Amino acid sequence: MKTRKNLVFWCSLLGLTLVLTLFSDVLATHPVNEMDLDAVYAPPGEGHLLGTDHLGRDVFSRLLQGGKVTLTVAGLSVALSFAIGVIYGGISGYVGGWTDSVMMRILEALISIPSLIFVLAFQAIMQGGMWGMTVIIGMTGWFTTARIVRSEFIRLKDAEYVKMAKMFGTPAWKIITGHLLRNSMAPLFVVTIYNLAGAVFIEVSLSFLGIGIPPSVPSWGNMLYNAQNDILIGAWWIGLFPGMLIFLTILSINFIGEAMKDSGRGRFHA
Amino acid sequence: MTVKWVGKRMMLGILVLFIVSFLSFFIMHAGPGSSATAYYGGNAQTLTAAEKERISKAFALDRPMIVQYGAWLKETVTGNLGMSASVGRPVATILSERLPNTLLLFGTSMLFIILGSIWLGMAAGMKPGSLLDRGLSTFSIASSSIPAFWVGILFIYVFAVTLGVLPSSGTRSLSGDGGFVDKIKHLIMPASVVVLTHVGLYARILQDSVKSEMRSYYVMVARANGVEELEIRRGVLCKAFIPYLNYLGITIPSFFGGSVIVESLFSWAGLGQLLVKSVMVKDYPLLMGGIMLTGLIVVITLFVIDVLMYILDPKLRRGELSG
Repeated sequence: MKTRKNLVFWCSLLGLTLVLTLFSDVLATHPVNEMDLDAVYAPPGEGHLLGTDHLGRDVFSRLLQGGKVTLTVAGLSVALSFAIGVIYGGISGYVGGWTDSVMMRILEALISIPSLIFVLAFQAIMQGGMWGMTVIIGMTGWFTTARIVRSEFIRLKDAEYVKMAKMFGTPAWKIITGHLLRNSMAPLFVVTIYNLAGAVFIEVSLSFLGIGIPPSVPSWGNMLYNAQNDILIGAWWIGLFPGMLIFLTILSINFIGEAMKDSGRGRFHA
Repeated sequence: MTVKWVGKRMMLGILVLFIVSFLSFFIMHAGPGSSATAYYGGNAQTLTAAEKERISKAFALDRPMIVQYGAWLKETVTGNLGMSASVGRPVATILSERLPNTLLLFGTSMLFIILGSIWLGMAAGMKPGSLLDRGLSTFSIASSSIPAFWVGILFIYVFAVTLGVLPSSGTRSLSGDGGFVDKIKHLIMPASVVVLTHVGLYARILQDSVKSEMRSYYVMVARANGVEELEIRRGVLCKAFIPYLNYLGITIPSFFGGSVIVESLFSWAGLGQLLVKSVMVKDYPLLMGGIMLTGLIVVITLFVIDVLMYILDPKLRRGELSG
């Protein structure tokens, strides 16, 4: 019961963040790139709810708009990595045998490489943009998903009902989507939740390093990139608020994942 | 048996490095934008087409990619990593200057993480339901939800800006002699940021497995037979250590990735910071060298962990589990 309550709490917190960022166009008090050079580094208070940054831009408005960018990139990239993971793991698990061994050795190698390195290599050629980032994060985030799909498929392949379906001549794609994939949804869901947290992490980290989303587009990571210098002169509000929101978002995603795992729905067979 | 096992592990390590090199080489060279950009320096606009072609020819950039890769692989295996395109110094020299710093940061934080998580995990796992037991679970989730660099920013604000007790960045003071004490002072903040954001995660894995070991039959029997508590703890730790090591192995790559970001934040002159810089200027030879060295460090660390697991896990030694 306690898990249930936790789940509701963290889901609503995440939902609140989503709603705030999704309706950022309505809720923002200032245009995101409007510079007010008379009010540079204004502390939180009248006029600017959460203060302004080094160009006099409203932190509150940028925070909401930035959240939209960060969460869109994270969400779409997770969808992409989900698709790649399901296809790769699905082929490996369903076909089995020699194909499976080769694909798993490659996956093993990919997993032992820091994914940040691949992201860096990709980033060197693509040089940012929101969509570029989405593709990069998606293409480096599917390894665990593939592993879980594969092991679930191998487990389910021997189930009575799958054998039965095969006997009746059900087409392969129907067995794969209707039986195998559908029955691996629970653990897949948990992994995808954690992937989402990971994707937010990567976007934020890269933009923070200055090699992520271009500085003209506000994102939570970009805001922190500027905050690095601002904090040295004591302007704490520019870094604090995006950081808090990143923390709360990842925290709620992690707790949701945790609650789903505890409720026994996301059994792992990786 | 043992020789065969070690050989198999090493082969896997070499395979990993090969795949790393292949993928990163092709990713970098497949993209739009010439890979000669870094050689142009800032003169891309003023160079004529003929000059550009000459540069391409000089560095064999006009050859097919697979030929370039073959040449690169041949040179790399013999230890020649080429010249950096942006600095014009040998890649190997630049890397060797950076390596000690990265190993220092990586090693120190790893040491404290392992010691801290064993201590915390054991203490919490031995007393199920205690404050420490419940607190550790929450702390572990919370600490893994905070981006390390944000903790770093807060640290800089508190310890460097407000209190002024620690240097905010760099590997040595400009005025200092770069001696041992100076280095340690610069190491404290980045290392503690890495430790703080990771220790909970590892402690929790150990805590969970210690808890389940404590409930097991052999502990009960040992207790009933009056085996000393210290002896029981030793046994439990030995057994619980296997999933812990396994987790350590799985997370080493991402752990290493995380320290890249911390290095950049604190301007710690290590490999991570170098990688980020070479991405920015599109210095492919340097980036390739850095990626390969990082891959090598990860592969070696994974190998050490594998060997430790092999020593600790009798099942693995008897070949009951396929390694």
